[in-house]
Formats: sequence, structure tokens, C-alpha cells
Amino acid sequence: MQAMMLRRWLLWGEWRAHVPQAAAVVAAIALGVALGFAVHLINAAAYNEFAAAARSLSGESDLQVRGVQATLDETLYPFLAQRDGVRIANPVLELDIIVPAHANERRHGMLKVVGLDIFRAAAIAPDLVGIPEEDNLFDLLADDAIFLSPAAMEWLGVRRGDPLPLRRGTQVVTLRVAGGLARARAGQRLGVMDIGALQWRFRQLGRLSRVELQLLPGVDRDAFKAALVRDLDERHLVTQVSDQEARVANMSRAYRVNLNMLALVALFTGAFLVFSTQMLSVVRRRHQLALLRVLGFTRAQLLWQIALEGAILGTAGALLGLALGHAAAAAALDLFGGDLGGGFFSGIQPQIRFDPAAAGVFFLLGAGIAMLGSMAPAWEAARTHPAPALKPGSEDHAYARLASPWPALACLAAGGLFTQLPPVSGLPVFGYLAVALLLIGGIALMPRLAASAFSGLLSLAARRPLRVIPALALSRLANAPNQAAVALGGVLASFTLVAAMGIMVSSFRISVDEWLRHILPADLYVQTAAAGDTRGLTPAEAEMIAAAPGILRADFFRSTQLALDPARPGVTLIARPIDAADPAATLPMTGTTLPPAALPRDAIPVWVSEAMVDLYGHTPGKRITLPIGDAPRDFVVAGVWRDYGRQFGAIQMRLSDYRSLTRDPLVNDAALWLRADATAEDAMASLQRLPFGGVLDISARSRIRALSLDIFDRSFAVTYLLEAVAVIIGLLGVAAGFSAQTLARIREFGVLRHIGMTRRQILALLAAESGLLTALGIVLGFVLGGCISLILVFIVNPQSFHWTLQWHLPGQELAAVALALLLSASLTALAAGRRALADNAVRAVREDW
Amino acid sequence: MTGRARPRPPRGPALLAAGMLLATLCWADAAVDPAAEAEPAPRFAPVVPGTPLAFPADFGAHPDFRTEWWYATGWLEMPDGRPLGFQVTFFRAATEVDRANPSHFSPKQLIIAHAALSDPAVGRLLHDQRSAREGFGLAYAREGDTDVRLDDWHLVRTRNGHYETVIHADGFTLRLSLAPTQPPMKQDRDGYSRKGPRPEQASHYYSEPHLRVSGSVTRDGSTMPIKGTAWLDHEWSTAYLDPDADGWDWVGASLDDGSALMAFRIRGKDGSTIWAYAGLRDAAGRFTLYEPGQVDFQPRRTWRSPRTGAAYPVEMQIRTGTTEWRLLPLQDDQELDARQSTGAVYWEGAVTVTRDGRPAGRGYYELTGYVRPLRL
Amino acid sequence: MLELRDVRKGYAGGRQVLSGLSYALAAGEYVAVMGESGVGKSTLLNLIAGLDVPDSGEIRIDGIAISSLDDDAATRLRRRRLGFVFQAFHVLPHLTLQQNVALPLLLNGVSVKHAEARTQDMLDAVGLHGKARQFPRQLSGGEMQRVAIARALVHRPALLLADEPTGNLDPDTARDILALMRAEIRENGASAMIVTHSRLAAETADRILVLTQAGLHSMEPSSAGGRAHP
Repeated sequence: MQAMMLRRWLLWGEWRAHVPQAAAVVAAIALGVALGFAVHLINAAAYNEFAAAARSLSGESDLQVRGVQATLDETLYPFLAQRDGVRIANPVLELDIIVPAHANERRHGMLKVVGLDIFRAAAIAPDLVGIPEEDNLFDLLADDAIFLSPAAMEWLGVRRGDPLPLRRGTQVVTLRVAGGLARARAGQRLGVMDIGALQWRFRQLGRLSRVELQLLPGVDRDAFKAALVRDLDERHLVTQVSDQEARVANMSRAYRVNLNMLALVALFTGAFLVFSTQMLSVVRRRHQLALLRVLGFTRAQLLWQIALEGAILGTAGALLGLALGHAAAAAALDLFGGDLGGGFFSGIQPQIRFDPAAAGVFFLLGAGIAMLGSMAPAWEAARTHPAPALKPGSEDHAYARLASPWPALACLAAGGLFTQLPPVSGLPVFGYLAVALLLIGGIALMPRLAASAFSGLLSLAARRPLRVIPALALSRLANAPNQAAVALGGVLASFTLVAAMGIMVSSFRISVDEWLRHILPADLYVQTAAAGDTRGLTPAEAEMIAAAPGILRADFFRSTQLALDPARPGVTLIARPIDAADPAATLPMTGTTLPPAALPRDAIPVWVSEAMVDLYGHTPGKRITLPIGDAPRDFVVAGVWRDYGRQFGAIQMRLSDYRSLTRDPLVNDAALWLRADATAEDAMASLQRLPFGGVLDISARSRIRALSLDIFDRSFAVTYLLEAVAVIIGLLGVAAGFSAQTLARIREFGVLRHIGMTRRQILALLAAESGLLTALGIVLGFVLGGCISLILVFIVNPQSFHWTLQWHLPGQELAAVALALLLSASLTALAAGRRALADNAVRAVREDW
Repeated sequence: MTGRARPRPPRGPALLAAGMLLATLCWADAAVDPAAEAEPAPRFAPVVPGTPLAFPADFGAHPDFRTEWWYATGWLEMPDGRPLGFQVTFFRAATEVDRANPSHFSPKQLIIAHAALSDPAVGRLLHDQRSAREGFGLAYAREGDTDVRLDDWHLVRTRNGHYETVIHADGFTLRLSLAPTQPPMKQDRDGYSRKGPRPEQASHYYSEPHLRVSGSVTRDGSTMPIKGTAWLDHEWSTAYLDPDADGWDWVGASLDDGSALMAFRIRGKDGSTIWAYAGLRDAAGRFTLYEPGQVDFQPRRTWRSPRTGAAYPVEMQIRTGTTEWRLLPLQDDQELDARQSTGAVYWEGAVTVTRDGRPAGRGYYELTGYVRPLRL
Repeated sequence: MLELRDVRKGYAGGRQVLSGLSYALAAGEYVAVMGESGVGKSTLLNLIAGLDVPDSGEIRIDGIAISSLDDDAATRLRRRRLGFVFQAFHVLPHLTLQQNVALPLLLNGVSVKHAEARTQDMLDAVGLHGKARQFPRQLSGGEMQRVAIARALVHRPALLLADEPTGNLDPDTARDILALMRAEIRENGASAMIVTHSRLAAETADRILVLTQAGLHSMEPSSAGGRAHP
């Protein structure tokens, strides 16, 4: 009881005296927890909403049969409906259709329209049944009626009875809004119409997206599925709702994990701040703690006293962080949507739900990390012999043990080793561990590095007369490196993070920029619209485009989706003119490419993106079977190209091969080269004068490039936020470290004042010390960050997103951040020093405090 | 007659829309929109008086007409001698969707089927229904001879004139063979059956009374052989019910002496009788036709449904000329309440028939429009 | 060289410690100031050092009224003309002995070369020959105070102020230190004022002054009263 009371006195005494330090610790932990928790909440909300929306489209079906290609032949429907064990077979045609009025909204310009046979769907997907007016029940079957979810109505600005124009290829089909849906998820943009009408109106005769099956009670689903897979050829996939959820999860998993990792790094920086604050506090209270030991505090009591301080600060920070994270998540969802600009979840409106399990995890993480951070100082305090500790001038002993280089070197070595390990279930787990180890090792090595750096500087300086302030600053830094290193840690950690992220993002951006330059060789690009299932130019229309005035050459593209693995998002198949002898002329090739002579005659060459190598093992020279056309055919991988546009894989083949396999005459896009005497404006104008010119989306190369880079920047916006948070935490560390140290050095300043230093000189000394420290932190942070950026660029990115990048150093930007950090760290140190000097120098030298 | 079954959707209030569509299809076939009347929908064939029925082609479907049904009802006897009523109905309904749509899913023809079993031991009807658009060999009503299918429910007329039907309903399975003992009975004027004061308010209509039933009923996992007598109606039309009509009362009975009686009246919203008809064919094949003025329906006892509150005249006195017929239900509660799904409620059940006070035979009796007027 | 004219100093709360103190210290004079706790001995030193300002009266060092200078000017004066020795030594732990001692020279703008030579001389003089590159934590208390004395006199101040210089030392060491201090003060031609409770310390001075509420009174060393240092 008395012990508890004593503990409380000590805690309160400590914190009352050092409110800013305690507040900085709480704030740092809160920020780290808030970031992690917010990212988790946002992702969970978006994922759940997306999965629920996907599930609501599949209704209560047990199995779904899909085509590897976007659609499958409708004759499969009676085959499945009459199969033993099937209670209901529900044919579905699902199209993403461009809404002309919203065609310019990238990713959001499309309406998902589900074509249903209401008599089948009513039992299996009752939510999707349209609600017609009581007098117009036949609208459920009408070939011009569409039923819209509330979100779709709001987005399109239509009500029951309004006309709704939708695009089919270059034409416009106008439907009639006949009513709402039985039940749609909030924010889900969805239209439902009769399947026969959809097939007819949008030229999908004979095609289905999938057939959903509900089995009779008592039928073994797995056995049924296995038998069905045996009876269907490879052009078909039999999936369950769980596959679909896995696909949704796969779609954004790498992105989510990477964001969470960044949040953890922020939390780590926070932990470091706890460590440095507690360490300084222990050193500052050395006499007091030694006195407690003399008075009868046991070693364990002292240990727990310090650990408890950390735990309480951590708890407060973690709780605050949870509240902050929840609020931030809600705000971010409002501002940026469920993917934080990543573009994975669109057309849905996720809601934040409090997640007790995740909150518990992040709470423990925050509180635990704070406690861990104070363990080393606590241990140090407990094991100190009280008698020497009472002697003045012994402060730097406190840090001596931490300077042993072996654990740090072991961390660095392990980190180096981890970079050589493969990903774990598609995630760069070891890559991130290597990043963490490098960071820990680098920071732990700091005192030693600081000592040798400043000693070196000092001996360099000794050759020439040195002014007293720099001499004092250097002496202190060189001779009390452990104290210096603690304050340095914050700067180092944050600049390391900034450098690593900055280099990674800049490498990525420059790689993307170069890639865009390579894949956009033509002057103009024509699409019937941004994307969608219902686009396409007929051969006659393509002919007219190629013959338009000013056009020198026109390449046409056909792109479709292939679902090669039910648990993964689809692979894009692009058919275009490609010279097999020189694919690099059209594709940004990487690695070896098979020359035409090496291509087998009986297989069709395809060129795959890097993701196909990682995800499907499509290495160059490998023979693969792809379900393109009426029957699966043999193909050979003729080369690998770099693709930053499609994380889940893309395959390119020659348009002529594609057409002979599929007899699909449509094309989606065209790349146009202009005659020397033609201007882009004239060519665009003449294209727009074509009969279908109004629905053509014509862009100059520069505009596509700008648009792509804009999207890139938006999706990396969140990383900038994280960097900013890391810098703030780093500065908090500098502030806490310096103010604590300054307070601890109050006696030293008193002496200096007696000897004859002016206040300004002492402030200059502080500024010089912090400037030198920060500069060293920046230099080392740059080195460490550079190493980490290598891991991010060459390990984490390829393992997460299956693409390779070229390393690039954003020198100017980093220099600017470094300068800003240098200035703000010095200012922070000055502010802390002013406060310390406000105390009377007279009191400082007295022994009785 | 019998434009009656509103199929029951599988489950849940979410199916309201789908169910209501079906309800409308089944009732609305009879509806004649005043506007449409002025300018009848050209795509459906009109019922023209004087068109003779031609068999076997007229056993089959008539997709040019808006509505068509095959409607089998009858009494079955279980091995222990207890009686059961049954009903198996297949509807074909043509929709007004664009005939130009080449999609195989285009819902030009809908097939709806309804089955019910009336067992006094249960105290109410067991019933189930199916519906689908025609196509893919999964649902169809073929031309040429009776051959209708909806998934695993079907009714087919075999080469020897027998009807075979298999119904896998929720709660029971019927496998019945219906063998004719008499030639078809062409209703009204050689199969041209009027339903209202206007000549186009009519259908083509023949019945097959005195069908000898054999087969089995499966309930609760046990299959019992059964035998009995059935009545099959086949009727097709384009414009049917008068706009002022409220509903109808209908009976078809195979009488013990080998004769067959069919009678109906169409009730107006004001309680009047808009149209009435009765046809009686004796065992020798002599047909007696009763004009509206010679047919009179008089309720004798009503039963109030505890579910819907509707009062049904479950005992009915019918006068045809000078003959008094009396209908007595197998059980009072033969109401089919589908308000939760389709919004429609009607009474459809097995009855015994007396002629001038003496037992004359057994039949099926239908009462519609008692909960609320049929919406036209 | 040091003149106190009617110096008065009180603290918040109304405690008056110095009320009308006047005294003149001649160049080369070495005095000890004794007095009971709380009588204002330390306050007196702080006022002389220009680290505290009297409520009224004047303090002149070499004729300059330090009490009327602003902080920077007072600091510069202190830097050139004063040296300090503290009870708790206050040797800076992260500087070598040489650096510690050289500090005042460097602050006064003496060139490194000259400063090095002078520092070396001072360290030799206080008996720390060969330890120039050691850090204070390796020293005993007595050695620490030797460093402090070297630092206090290295720049040849006009006046050395010492506050209980032997308070943290055992009697034998204290005796050595006092002797050293006296010798070095003489050697460097400084005046000195030692505030102490210790009779032993006081007796090394030329004169002993006793500070009381009434003022500063002279007392010959031979007849010095007060309690002896234990």
C-alpha cells in the first residue's frame, strides 16, 4: 500500500516536472497507433463492403460457374440446370456499362448492370429483384426497363420513369428507369434488367457472365464441385463465394499490408521516442533514483517503477491513438474513399465499424511498445550502484553499456540475410523484417558512429585554431556520444524513413514515367470510352479512323479479361500488332526475349508482364495453355515486359493471332501516328467529325501521361502523409530529447555562465550541438534510408506488386527536407535551451537540489 | 375456365415483385384493358367464333394467343379408401416483349405451374408452384400435342391419348396417368366459350371429363398407389374478363352416371352476374347448353377464413334449367392464401355434387375475387 | 580593486540578507568571509560576480560598477576579471582536464597555442602533470578541485571567488587544496574572497571577515572565532 502510494508520488512528481516530455511520448504513441488503426479500419471497412457487395451479387448460391474469358456460352446454362443435384441454376450476365454523362470520370464512369432471369434469380438473389410500379409489373421483363439501386439513382440523377442513356460501343442505348431494387447496399451503384434484354441491347447474344447454382439439400458440395470441374473443360471455372472473397482480398492485400507496415514504422519511431525520453529521464534522475535505492527501494521495485511509467504513458497514448484513429478513418473515408486513393474499391460506400479485436491488438501494440521502450532505461536504473551514481559527473556512464556494437552489427547482418529470402504467401515479410532490423541496428550503432564522427571532426579541427563554441560543441558530442545518440535517434529514424520512402516513391515515379514514354509511342490514342465491357469499334469504324485525314498509321488493340485463377483478380489479354522479331519496339521488354527462330511452330507467341512470371510461373520459353477462342490452345512465352498498369498480370499477343482464334472482329483502342504535316488538333477535330466521333475519347500522348502520373501521385498521397507523421514524431523526439538534456545540463550551463559565457553563447552552443547532431543524423539517415530504399525498390515492390523498378535518388527533394529538418531541429533545441536558461545560473551550481 | 392459379413464389417477402408479376400474369390474361379493347394488341390472335377445334393439334399449345392453360383436377382414393383432392395446372402466358429480340432468354412465353393436394386429415391445402420463361428446353409448351414442361414438372399426352404428369412439389410428389374414357367435351358452341357480353370476351375451351387416374402420391417419404377420377380443362384466349368483373365461381364435375357438368358465373363488382354458363353432357354424348338466363348460382353456406377474413360460399346451389345442383366441399378450408407473396387469395377445392337432392358425383369448385376485387 | 558601497539585497517574502554593506578589497588581498547559514554569504558572492543585482548600492570591480552593467557586459567583465571555485567542483564531465582549464582562455579569445601552453603550465602547477587528456570522471574529489583552481586562475583574473571550496573534501585534502589555492593566488597576482564555514579554510586567508546582519566585520586570523570545521 505504502509502496503504491510512493509509486504514485514519484510518477506524479516526475510528470508534473516534465509535462512536455510526457506529452511528446503520449503524442508519438498516439500518432503511431492512430495511423495503424485508421489504416486498418479503412481497409477493413472497404474490404468488408466490397466483399458484401460482391456477395450480394452472388446471392445465396452454393457455386458459381464462370468462364476464363469474360463471358461463357449460354448453352452451359441448361446443361447445369438439368444436372443432378442442382436445385436452381441462375444465369447472370453482368456488364460494366459506360454512362455517357459520366464517361469522363475515370474508374467511376461505369454502371454495373446485372442481367437476370427474375424467375431464377428471385430464389437465389432476392436482393437484386427490381421493384416496379404496381401498374407496370411487366417492367420486370421489359426490354427497355432498368431498375437502379438508390446510390445509382442518386449518382445518375434519375428517378423512376426517367430515360437513362448508356453506351454500347460507339452508340447510345436509352433505357427507362422502371424502379428500385428490393435491397441494395448503401452506396452500391447497380442496375438490374432482364437478361434477355441485356443480351440483346448490349450485343451479348448467347453470352453469360456466370451461372450460379443452388444445390438440392443433402448434396455434397465439394463432391459435386469436383465432378463438375471434371466434366467442364479448362475454359470454365467453378468457384465459391469464398473464392470471390479471396479474390477481393488478393486485389488489395499487398497495398493494405504495405500501408500497415508504414504505420508500424511510425509506431516504431514512437517507441524510439519513448526509449529516448525514458533514458534521459533516468539519467536526469540518477541522483534521485540512487537516493531511493539508498533509502531502501529494491532493484525490482525501481525496475518496475520506470517500466510502469512507460506503460502508463503508452496506455494513455494508445487509448488516445485509438480514438484518433477511429476519427481519422471516418474522415479519410469521407475525403478519399475506401482505398485511400489506391483505386481498388470503387462504386461502394464503406462504413467504419468499431472493431474490438483490432482495437485490442493496436492498443497492446502501442502500450507494449512504450513499455518495451522503457525497459532498457529501467534496467539501467535498476542495476546502477547507488553510491557512484550520487557522485556528480557520472551521467554518461548510464549510456556506456548501450554502446556495445555487437547487437547492432548482428541486427544489420540479419537484415542483410533477410533480403535474400523469398516472400511468404505473396507478401514481402522478410523484406519488412530486414527494414526493421536495419533501422534498429543503425540506431543502436549510433553512439559509436557519433563518437567516431565527432572525434574525427574534433581532431581535424584541432589542426587549426577553433573558436570556443564549435570546440565546446564538438567536445561534448565526441565525448558524450551516448547522450548525443539518444537525441539523434529521432532525427535518424525520421530522416531514414523520409529518405527510404522518398527514394522509393521517386524511383517508382521515374520508372513509371519512362515506362509511359515507352508504351505511348503514338501521337494520339482513341478509346470508345475509358473502359467497360460494352466498348468496341467494328472493323468498318476502325477503317474510318485509319482513313481519317492526317493519320499516318493506326494500330488497333483488343483487350479482354481472362480469369485464370478463381482466387485472383483477372488477367488482361491485349491483342495488338507486335513484331515477333522485335517486340521491344512496341513493348517495354525486360530480360531475355526469345528470337523468332526459337519460337516453336505449333505454339502461338505471347509476351507476358512480370506479374505473370511471379503469379503463374510464365517464364520465357515456357509452353502454356490458355483458353482463348473456342478451345484451349498452346502458347509459348516469348518474352517478359514491364507493366505498372496491371498488378495482377497481363498477356499480349498479336492481333492477327487473336482474331484467327476468336473470330472477334472488335477492337477497343487505337494508337494513331500523325503525318508530318498534320497537327494533333486538326486530327482530333477530323476524328470527332466521324459519324461516331462524339463517343470517341481521343487523347494526346501528353494528356494520358499527365493523367497517369496524376493518378500515381494520388495513390501515393497517403505515403506522404506517413512521411510527414514520421518527421513530426522525429521532431518531437528532438524536442523531448533536447529539452530533457538541457534540463539535465542546467548545472553545466551555470558553470559556463560563471566562467563567463553569455546567454547567447550558450544558445549558440546548443544550436551548434543540435545542428551538428542533426546533420550527422541526416547523413546517417540518408545512408540507412538509402539501404532501406534498396530493399523497398528491389525486394518489397517486386514481391508485393510483381514489378521491378529502377532506383533513383530525388536529390533536391531530400536536400530540401534535410535542410528543413536541420533548421527545425536547431530551432527546437534553441527553444528547449531558452527554457533551461530562464532558470537562474546561481541556483544551478548549488548542490542542494 | 379456371384462370386461377396464382403461383406461390419460393420464399420470403423479397420475392414480392416476382410473385406479383406471376399473379398478374395469371389474372391479367383475363383482363381487357379498355384502351386495348378499342385497339386490340395486334400481336395476339383473337378468339373468333366458328373456328372449329382440330385435334390433335389443338391438344398442343397456341402461342399466338395471350393465355393458355391445362388444368387437371380430381378426386383420388388412397389404399385405405380415404379421399384426396388434387390439382395440377400448367399455364402458358405470352408477354408483350419485343418479338424482334433474338435472345434465347427473351421472355416471350412464360410457363407457370401450380399443384395442390387437398387432404381433410391435414385440414388445409398443400400446394406448390413453379414459373419460368420458355427456353433452353427447361420450360416449354409445345405445339402439336399436349406437352408442357417446367424443369422437373411436366404434363404430356402420349400417343394413346393418356396424359402423364409428374410433379415434384414441396411436400409431395405426384406421378399420375390420366386415361380418357370419353371423347373431349367441347364447351359452349363447339369449343367457342363466351365469358361476357362482348363476342371477343371468349376462349377456345374443351374439357376431358371422366379421366381414369392411376399412379402414386409420395408424401413424407412414403409412396402410395392411388386411383381416382379427374377432369382436364384446356383453354386458350386473348381477351377474357369483362372490366367490370369481380371474380368468378366455377365447377366441373364428372357424374356417377357418366355424364359431365361444367358451370360458371362471372360476378360483377356490383354483385350482379355478368355472365353465366352451364354445359351438361350425358353418357351417350348428348350435349345440353344452358344460356346465361338459364343458369343461377345461390350460395347456401359460407365459410369465413380465419387467415384472410374472406367469406366463401363453400356450399353452392346451382340451377340449370329445371335441375338443382348442390356443391358440398370435401373440407371447408381449401383456401389458397398467398398474400405474403403474390397478394392473391382464392378457394379451390374438391366437392361432392347432388342433383335435385340425390348424390350425383364429385367435382372441383373454384371461387375467386372474394378477398378483394380482381384488379383489372 | 573591489569596492562594495552600501549594498542592500532582500528576497521576495521580505527577508533582508544584506543591509547596507560596504567594504573595499585591496589588490592582492586574500580574505575569507565567515558567517552563519542564511546570513547572505553566497548572495554576496553572486552580487560580486554580477550574477545577481543588488536592490541598492554599488559594486565596483577595477572601478567598473558591475552592478549597473547589463547581463552581457557583466558577463564579459566576469569572463576577464573573475575566477570561480565551487564546493561541488563543477568540472565539465565531457571535457578533458586540459579543455576544462582552457575554457576561460578560449572564451577570452586567447589563441589556442597560447592557451595550450598556459593550460599546461596551470595543470603542472596544480599537480596534474601528465593528466591533461584525462576526463574528470577518473579523478578524485581533490584532483577535481585542483582542476577547478587551475580553471579559476588560468586567465589571471583580478579576483577569485570561492564558495566553500573544501566543503566536499576530507581534512587532509582540504589542507592541500587550501595551500595550493593560496599559493596560486599569490603566484597569479589575484585578490581572493573565500566564503566558508571552515575555520581551517578561513585561517589561510590574510584576513577573516565575519558577515552578520549588521555588516561585514574584520577579524584577525589569530583571533578568529566561530565554529571550527569538523
